[in-house]
Amino acid sequence: MSHQFTEAELEAYLDEALSAEEMAKVETLLRSESDLTDRLRAIHGRRDAGVHSLGEIWRRHRVSCPTREQLGSYLLQVLEGEEQEYIEFHLQEINCRYCHANLDDLRLRKQEIEAETQSRRRRYFQSSAGFFDNQD
Amino acid sequence: MSDAHQADAMLVQRIREGDTDAWGELIGRYEGRLLAFAESRLRNRDVSEDVVQESFIGFLNSLPNYDGKRRLESYLFTICAYKLTDHLRREGRRPTISLSSTSNTSGGDWQVPGRMRPASSIARSGERRQIEEESLVKVLREQVEQWRRRGDWTKIRCMELLFVRGRANKDVANLLSISEQQVANYKFDFLARIRTQVKKQGLPEEVFPDLYE
Repeated sequence: MSHQFTEAELEAYLDEALSAEEMAKVETLLRSESDLTDRLRAIHGRRDAGVHSLGEIWRRHRVSCPTREQLGSYLLQVLEGEEQEYIEFHLQEINCRYCHANLDDLRLRKQEIEAETQSRRRRYFQSSAGFFDNQD
Repeated sequence: MSDAHQADAMLVQRIREGDTDAWGELIGRYEGRLLAFAESRLRNRDVSEDVVQESFIGFLNSLPNYDGKRRLESYLFTICAYKLTDHLRREGRRPTISLSSTSNTSGGDWQVPGRMRPASSIARSGERRQIEEESLVKVLREQVEQWRRRGDWTKIRCMELLFVRGRANKDVANLLSISEQQVANYKFDFLARIRTQVKKQGLPEEVFPDLYE
């Protein structure tokens, strides 16, 4: 059962970098599977020996992650087709936790801006309604 | 150095000089994404805010050791991940893995497979390891940037699946609708190129076993 997770994914688990759902799955399996614990210890051992993992370095330094600006453009769907598709892939297949965090934050800020914009427009409307009525 | 990286470097310098406005600016810039990161696991806004607060304090405490080579956002996410892990362990949600093995396997005693000299004989300082890591990051970023400029999105996807997710060639081929041979070719070319760059920089082979499969 522990082999549903690759070595790279277990490295990400140790770094709290898998998606929340995957983190929870590993934690559940750890309670019953000793071979999963052994695999994690082996990764610890490799790290302690000072040996680098290409995937770990790639993930930790976000080598291929889109920038926050690109994620913002992705959210607005204004990127070129292939770039838009690549970011979709990066979020869905690679399930990059850091990019998801950025995207969640961007969505919230967009909603807050929209709410502020609506609120501002309502104030303009309410403060000018009297003048509008006087046009007749 | 990208514009964002430069902006962050200047912000950090101002913080080092005691500029409280700069500190407020850093918090404003990064708290949202750190909060989203913590909350995705904790599902509790109040506790997530505590973790983020601890992360910011952790950053300030680590400032004398932060040399700015690592991108600020990644550094902050790492600190947040540590604080999150600590919290989850205290809650009992995240099991602690003891480093000594109680099973018959030699899980805690890692050795480099194949012909390379044993990892236990590779004695390097933390600083040296950091230099090696930064050198490899630079090489990887240049390669990915080249692929991006050329619109070689399949290669970027391929390497992410192979190395970030650790998927087998066959699975990668299926996901990307290309042949397994094509995946193998892309991987071979990529590793050959990275090995050349690593050698040019005089970095030891045995600390990058993934490059010499």
